[in-house]
Amino acid sequence: MTVAAGLGYALIALGPAFSLFAGVVARKPFLVLTLLSSTLFWLISLIVLSGIWRGFLPIKSGTWWAYAILIITSVALQEGTRLVFWRLYKKMEEMLDAFADRISKPRLSLTDKMLISLAGGLGHGVAHAVFFCLSLLTPAFGRATFYVERCSKMPFFLASALIALGFLVIHTFSMIIAFNAYDEKKKCDQIVVPVVHLAAAVMTLVNLAPGGCLIGTPLLLVMAALTLQYCWRVACRRLTEHQHRQLNNN
Amino acid sequence: MDPAAASPAPAPAAEEPRSDASLLDALGGEVLAVMSPVSICMALVVLLISLLSPPSSGSVAAGSPPPVTAATLVYLESPTDTPAQKFVGALLDAAVFVALVAVVTFVLVALYYYRCTGFLKNYMRFSAFFVIFSMGGAIAAAVLRRLAAPLDAPTAFLLLFNGAAVGVLSVFASAVPILVRQGYMVALAVIVAAWLSRLPEWTTWIMLVALALYDLVAVLAPRGPLRMLVELASSRDDELPALVYESRPTVGPATSSSSYASAMGSVEMQTMADSGRVGGSRYDRVEQDEDASRAVVEMRDLGRGRSNIGEMNRSSGSVLQMDNLEREVPVTPIELPSNQIGSQHAVIQIEQSEEAETAPLVSAASSNNAASDEEQRQSSSSEPLDFEMFESTRGIKLGLGDFVFYSVLVGRAAMYDLMTVYACYLAIIAGLGCTLILLSICRHALPALPISIMLGVTFYFLTRLLMEPFVVGASTNLVMF
Repeated sequence: MTVAAGLGYALIALGPAFSLFAGVVARKPFLVLTLLSSTLFWLISLIVLSGIWRGFLPIKSGTWWAYAILIITSVALQEGTRLVFWRLYKKMEEMLDAFADRISKPRLSLTDKMLISLAGGLGHGVAHAVFFCLSLLTPAFGRATFYVERCSKMPFFLASALIALGFLVIHTFSMIIAFNAYDEKKKCDQIVVPVVHLAAAVMTLVNLAPGGCLIGTPLLLVMAALTLQYCWRVACRRLTEHQHRQLNNN
Repeated sequence: MDPAAASPAPAPAAEEPRSDASLLDALGGEVLAVMSPVSICMALVVLLISLLSPPSSGSVAAGSPPPVTAATLVYLESPTDTPAQKFVGALLDAAVFVALVAVVTFVLVALYYYRCTGFLKNYMRFSAFFVIFSMGGAIAAAVLRRLAAPLDAPTAFLLLFNGAAVGVLSVFASAVPILVRQGYMVALAVIVAAWLSRLPEWTTWIMLVALALYDLVAVLAPRGPLRMLVELASSRDDELPALVYESRPTVGPATSSSSYASAMGSVEMQTMADSGRVGGSRYDRVEQDEDASRAVVEMRDLGRGRSNIGEMNRSSGSVLQMDNLEREVPVTPIELPSNQIGSQHAVIQIEQSEEAETAPLVSAASSNNAASDEEQRQSSSSEPLDFEMFESTRGIKLGLGDFVFYSVLVGRAAMYDLMTVYACYLAIIAGLGCTLILLSICRHALPALPISIMLGVTFYFLTRLLMEPFVVGASTNLVMF
């Protein structure tokens, strides 16, 4: 439905990402590089996943349990990727700290680390939105729109844009939670992240039922809001603790 | 400031400025300064291609017939051939192309060796003018036609001519604002890449792989033409007679004695601070440069009256250049059948070659001077340093050929689907990052094509064959993860 509609859908999916990028990430070149590398990681994990599943495609749309297995394996792989990303980040942090000591600049502060985890999460989220939503959006720039059978009340593009938005928020902020949890070694937070991811992914299974997308999509956005709120709590707590420690030290 | 009453919030704000000056700000700026124009170039090429020839993977016949270039001298692909025929034909095409590029590179090296730099520079200027005026004009005409935008011929001619003239000036003169020069470099790359993307599919892929391999050989092998060229250029302390994208302004060779402007312009000298850091990481220099440039300015104050002041920094290894040469090989005039692009172009099909482009050389600023610089480095900083002609850059240089071939790859991916475009874009950027990391480790000319092109081709085929059915199948059912 014309260029305006296409742009609108693209902005629904990626608008918050753009503002995060322009406001936070673009100011520090290192964060941009982090974003690009985490996007690459996500892409590689997706390619590996599709390599594994290629033999079983195409899945008949009636068999929802096949999709369930698909989702479980995908989430498992992506959480594994997150762990690998964390390990690499730790190594890089050591190198950066050593380098900072060598040129006698201050080491990475807590906000720096959180910014890096934000950029990493944003990379994952942007990759998800781009590959799952944007690449299918080209027909939306034309003159008509498209409805899937099972979702006859919402244009397909709108549904996929909203879902992409939800997942973008979830990926971005769960990366912050995850990095904090790995750093502080808090088990409960470490469990929360994969659980949230899995729950959100399973929720999209609801879309397989006829008319399900009217329920699934808002639920997903609610999950995204919950993730956002949880991350806010974690970040506030961590920062105020850091504050107090600094004040006590001084 | 009321520390007692201050809430915790201002405290981090107070330390923010200090941490803002921390590592995250200093690192990665130069890498990004190269990646952004590459990204912009690729984005423009994808936009042009999707505007001019809507992605239709199979219909070669529906679009304009592919240009008759040196890349299709042996075999011109037609959709009715069998895959085996296409493959063999494409191999032959690629071999001929690479041979042509190699020959022209050797000719270039010979010309440079015999100091025909005037001829080379004028030829470069002519080719830049021709590309912008003729090929750029054809593309502009096609875009106007596609958008149904009215523009009369005299105005178009005037605008094109002026644009091309400014382009020629900006490419080699040193007094042009850096942004204009960078813009024209990107424009040149976009035009050439958009032109080259019209080659048939198999030919394009095999040609890209062949060029990546050629690049590897030409830059790293001891008798490779591009390596010889770089060594020649650095032994004469002259800049390469090539079209190169610079991310920072260069100050041209100063024939007069020192001028403050040149001193201020990112002059670098490596170890004013301490001589022990020669082997330090690349990032060391980011910091040292600031100290160094101040120190150099002070030195210049002392040595104002010296007649020749140049700069020794090329050796300091802080200049990491990826140089590339761009040449043109005019092919014999060939009349193209009148296609919708019509007009005057393509009387001569210019091969933007390759020889230049193919050799991205990352030269850590003239290894030849390294020896003499070592000595000077060991000596104390107070000793009057013997400068020579300088070319002060801080930042990475990337040859225009790299831009062109990255964009050709992404453009060809755009003709299939947008998903492949994103995958190839990420692959190319990753390859570029790896090349830059390698550059900081081994400080000599490195080819920028191989890693990126190989990654790009791999990711294209993986995405097309593996990922797309998977992702499209999942997302059209609105099942996402």
